[in-house]
Amino acid sequence: MKKMNFKRAASLTLAAAVAVTGMGLTGCDTGSSGEQVIIYSNADEEAITAMENALDNNGYEGQYMFQTFGTSELGGKLLAEGKDIEADMVTMSTFYVESAQAQNDMFQDLTFDVDTIDEFEPYCAPITSQEGTIIVNTEMMEENNLPMPESIADLADPVYKGFVSVTDIAASSTAWLLVQALVSEYGEDGAQDVLAGIYENVGDHLEDSGSAPLKKVRAGEVAIGFGLRQQAVADKADGLPIDYIDPAEGNFSLTESVAVVDKGDDTNPLAMEMAQCIIENGREELQSYYPNALYNGESTDAANKSANPKVFPEKLTVDLLQKHEAISEAAKEEAGL
Amino acid sequence: MRKNREIKAVFAVIAVFFAGFLAVPMISVLVKSFTGNGEAASFSHYAEVLTGRGFLQALGNSFVISICSALLATVLAFVLAYTIHYTNAGGRYKWLISKAAILPMLLPTITYGFAIIYSFGKQGLLTQLFGRQLFDIYGFNGLLLGYVVYTLPIAFTLINNAMGYIDKRFMIVSRLMGDSPLQTFRMTIVIPLLGTLATSFIQTFFLCFTDFGIPASVGGRYEVVASVLYEEMLGSIPNFGNGAVVALVMIIPSVVSITVLHILEKYNVRYNKISPIELKKGVKRDVVFAVLSGAILICALSMFLVMFVTPFIEEWPYRMNFTLEHVQAVFEDRQLYGVYVNSVIVALITALAGTLIAYGGALVTARSTVSGKLKKVIDSIALVTNTIPGMVIGLAYLFVFTGTPLQNTFPIIIICNIVHYFSTPYLMMKNSLSKMNASWETTAMLMGDNWMKTIVRVVTPNALSTLLEVFSYYFVNAMVTVSAVIFIAGARTMVITTKIQELQYFNEFNEIFVLSLLILFTNLIARAIFRRLAKMSESRQNTAKIYRFSEKKKAA
Repeated sequence: MKKMNFKRAASLTLAAAVAVTGMGLTGCDTGSSGEQVIIYSNADEEAITAMENALDNNGYEGQYMFQTFGTSELGGKLLAEGKDIEADMVTMSTFYVESAQAQNDMFQDLTFDVDTIDEFEPYCAPITSQEGTIIVNTEMMEENNLPMPESIADLADPVYKGFVSVTDIAASSTAWLLVQALVSEYGEDGAQDVLAGIYENVGDHLEDSGSAPLKKVRAGEVAIGFGLRQQAVADKADGLPIDYIDPAEGNFSLTESVAVVDKGDDTNPLAMEMAQCIIENGREELQSYYPNALYNGESTDAANKSANPKVFPEKLTVDLLQKHEAISEAAKEEAGL
Repeated sequence: MRKNREIKAVFAVIAVFFAGFLAVPMISVLVKSFTGNGEAASFSHYAEVLTGRGFLQALGNSFVISICSALLATVLAFVLAYTIHYTNAGGRYKWLISKAAILPMLLPTITYGFAIIYSFGKQGLLTQLFGRQLFDIYGFNGLLLGYVVYTLPIAFTLINNAMGYIDKRFMIVSRLMGDSPLQTFRMTIVIPLLGTLATSFIQTFFLCFTDFGIPASVGGRYEVVASVLYEEMLGSIPNFGNGAVVALVMIIPSVVSITVLHILEKYNVRYNKISPIELKKGVKRDVVFAVLSGAILICALSMFLVMFVTPFIEEWPYRMNFTLEHVQAVFEDRQLYGVYVNSVIVALITALAGTLIAYGGALVTARSTVSGKLKKVIDSIALVTNTIPGMVIGLAYLFVFTGTPLQNTFPIIIICNIVHYFSTPYLMMKNSLSKMNASWETTAMLMGDNWMKTIVRVVTPNALSTLLEVFSYYFVNAMVTVSAVIFIAGARTMVITTKIQELQYFNEFNEIFVLSLLILFTNLIARAIFRRLAKMSESRQNTAKIYRFSEKKKAA
């Protein structure tokens, strides 16, 4: 009797062990099958959905996997990991793609035609162009009797203390749209002064994600935010108490591009096909969220045309970003953050 | 000595495992702190980090917030445990306290921040219920709340256990000697518990100091060391050398605290005889403590209420209609659902392999006659894994395994979890094995069984309930950990917690809460199953004995 019990217990444990390990291993197998193209992206949800639709509608369903990151996280990964990166393809802020290529020589030249209005490097094709603007929660503005701001510089006005949310340029490229506007309008010193004033008003609402200020405006955590224009347009159309004001300093923009990682013999040939598919079939839906025209033959629809589009006079690079980050850090110190 | 050959093989496997996945990675962190990305060795990274703006400030913040949280958590946990052991608050109520107090343990810390924002924020659930914001949630307050709720279960478990071992008859003695109630309280409860209270303080301090999940969401401008480490490694311009230095600085307090814990262990007073006594009647005392405990738990758990509400509402707080849309969306999203499956698989394999390794280690130290030096090696491994924060292990793996076939795979995540949580399971196993009769192996060998057979037939069945406990411990922790896997999970190997970190970036709180609920229910179910199994194995052992006894009687 004694033996029976022990044996039964032992064999039960063993059987359970084998079953679990088996399950795990098969899980691993399906999980790490080498065929799926891994796409690292810093894009927002709408852009990801548009790209997924383009791929799914053209027979690539189930053959790829998106992994999203914040801009600085993905930028850091590109710079640090180079060709060792897990991804086969990335969609990322164009200036980061260019800087990563300069440092690590990690992308392949695209093998399809890219007929853009502005010139792009041979290894990347733009997917979106995004503009920054001031966003307000109309209910909160009324409730708190706040005057409508007209420029980014207005956000430094002490009446807005505790009511403003912006992103931190150290983590998100959306904040760069704001800093570019300030530097081009007021010069570096002037920009630092305005930023310091804004940071004093912002306090704890200095965000890491480009869409966070809008989310906070939406949730009523703050009344005013600086974020991506097309998201505010969509929210307003959706009936939420959201409005937007194109700032007097101008609407600056950044593009995001697709690029294929050069992994030598291990390069997944599907990656290049998918990049082509996204550009050729995804632009229409992408443009419905990010209305700015990028390719010859496209045009920006009137409702979504920002009042005051501008381009920063210098070429955008990670080095320039770092320089502007330093201005922001100095402003933080001035504001006592 | 045939027996020692097998046990030495077990030892060798464990030693090689930890050499490869603990020693080598940690040494690489040390090397990186001097050389960065292949520069000549120098102290430049140390200089850069230590003189950098904000680092010392963050370090100071980490100390302040961790000390405050640890003190508060220990005091609150003491009140809860006191209600259970020293009041006549009613059995059901006591049972409820003991269950509710450990609930937060089943959720990842990364959920906490979100629960706080959507409970106490300007439009939060509780803010709306109270009609105004109770306190400013970003920075110190939010961190304090998050850390206290996070560490309360651990502090409570420690103090509650220890209180059970205090001989309550000393209270009668003290009272007979004419001590005042305060003196009795001091002499018979506080002083015997001093060691445990200190242990609780240090453990909770350590957890707060190394946690990444809570500051990631409610830190505001109150920077702590964990967020500095994350920025150095995954910020816009990563600096591996600086990251390594921050990681090493992070280890120092843990090494100190674990050393103190080790010393304290020797002063822990243990009474072996536990004698239930009738507690003095004290209605006032009972009511006060019952209400206090209730209030503590309601405050701690209320912040999770929002998790059960917002995912079922269309657009919080503007369109307050009930909907299952968000829940459905998670299950329909192939990737989100896949992430859940990944998590469960990782947790199961971690639990299985981790239990085997902890069992093997405990067999070497508790049930073998190998030299004390080998035993010391395993004890030291357990001690070291206890001192190294999860984030540091993850970072070390990033250094060592990037570019190898192990990069971003499930095996590396599983190994990381096993190493990160090795200490407690090993001690649980060792404790249980050393209580068993020491002569079993000898007896079995005399009867002709080999070592393997003895382990399988005699030791394992008797250790089954502890094995299941260890399994459950590994499973739950693998489900909720974020700090260790944040650096090493890849696109194909996302687990729920890393996915939440990703979703957090886009403030997708509905998905975050649905995923958190999935973790919570999975853990609740898993714990219930393992507990049931453990009870069954215990009672089977008992009935088997009775059964055998009656068989014998019959035979006679």
